[in-house]
Amino acid sequence: MNALPSRPARGGRRSYGRYVADGQLGQVLSQCAGDGWSGALRVAGEPGGLVHFAAGGIVDIETPGAPGPDVVLLRSGQIPEAGWEAAFTSAAPSGQLFPELVRRRLIGAARLEAVLRTALADAMFVLAIGRVEECHREEPTARPLLWLEPGAEPEWLLAETSRRLKVLASLGSQIVHDRDRVTAGRWPLAPRLPLSEGQYDILALANGRRTARDMAFALGRGVYALTLELSQMHEFGLLTVGSRRNETPAGNAWPDGSLVQLRDAQTPARPASAGSNPASPLPQRRAARQSAEPQSPGAVAPQAASALLRILRGGLADPPGPGNADEIADPGGV
Amino acid sequence: MAEDALLAEMRALRDRVVGITDTALASRDGLIVRADTGTIDPDNLAALAAAMLGVAQRIAAEVGQGSLHDAVVKSSGGYVATYAVGGRALLVVVGDTGVNRGLLYRESRSAVDHLESLLAEASSKTGRVATGKDETGEIRHD
Repeated sequence: MNALPSRPARGGRRSYGRYVADGQLGQVLSQCAGDGWSGALRVAGEPGGLVHFAAGGIVDIETPGAPGPDVVLLRSGQIPEAGWEAAFTSAAPSGQLFPELVRRRLIGAARLEAVLRTALADAMFVLAIGRVEECHREEPTARPLLWLEPGAEPEWLLAETSRRLKVLASLGSQIVHDRDRVTAGRWPLAPRLPLSEGQYDILALANGRRTARDMAFALGRGVYALTLELSQMHEFGLLTVGSRRNETPAGNAWPDGSLVQLRDAQTPARPASAGSNPASPLPQRRAARQSAEPQSPGAVAPQAASALLRILRGGLADPPGPGNADEIADPGGV
Repeated sequence: MAEDALLAEMRALRDRVVGITDTALASRDGLIVRADTGTIDPDNLAALAAAMLGVAQRIAAEVGQGSLHDAVVKSSGGYVATYAVGGRALLVVVGDTGVNRGLLYRESRSAVDHLESLLAEASSKTGRVATGKDETGEIRHD
């Protein structure tokens, strides 16, 4: 187990100029690479994640902070969902999804490798500039869905993160990728600015509820690329920052729900309790009958059943189709 | 006007767990109480979640696996998790594919406990089950 000293908590609105690729994380990654180690490095923090190593190379990173290659491929529309499902089912026994996607001509091998490399760089970017508290080496349990082979060197990924941070820090208007929820502005310059299809996609999602990270998952695009675009659109008045997501509590839960051992654990931010700030009077039900007794487990209330039937008969709105395929960002480009 | 404590708790949950996109608090018979939703229709969501929770609890009882923790729908685009809030309400949490499920479960349970307390306090004051309908009968949500 490699435990890192905890990073001092940071408060307030941060800009990218204050962050650099975490040297401590880099040390751990370099150790894993130098050992030629194969396994999963669990990074606790925010967003935290799981770094998969094979013979010292990084082959995949899972993190809540950035979409993985599967999300990128599907949400961007580069691979239709039906084709993906068929390939996934066919490759399930062997676990070899990459060759199956290529065999079915759903995507070319070179393009798929570029997507994997871009997603890897994006994941390392959000991991490295996030809050890193502890790292643990784990034995591999489940093979990633898609992995880069051969794995990428940590030094390259961290160097790319540093380059991206410099680019973002140089911008006149900085959108923090996981905090700033953006809203479409009033477009004072819009008549003079031709917008790309990608920018229209962004404006369609800019309802004050989504950060760059959220839009990345919705559109199947990279967090860094979107942050860059949002910052530029913000500078031109096409977007405004509607609200900011509050800092989250220290630590991270493993997928099974257990807590990571933390140092300096903070109390999760909560609104005022009912005792100190009594709940405002709640509106009262006027029309429908109400159940005087709590529902017994398993009972489906008549009102819920009738509402359900109404919905099923009327049909729900079709889910939105996949967006247009995004260009694969050059890992070395902006 | 002081922010509604129920809605504040739901918004705080969305802040605490990256990847949560929408939440809704509904009565067990499928009527919306509070909604922190974007484009999702809260009425449809409340009705469907109430039905799903009821069936999920029935299944858990049928197979003798104890009390239900949550009922989860996993799709290619994300998750929908439904939790019972006491015996009278339920919380629906919608998340994208990047949501940390372990953190989601932990923080949602905490939110459920707090929401249950808030609802119990409101019920004890009024003696009636609360909904999100205001004096004009319009659904109030943000």
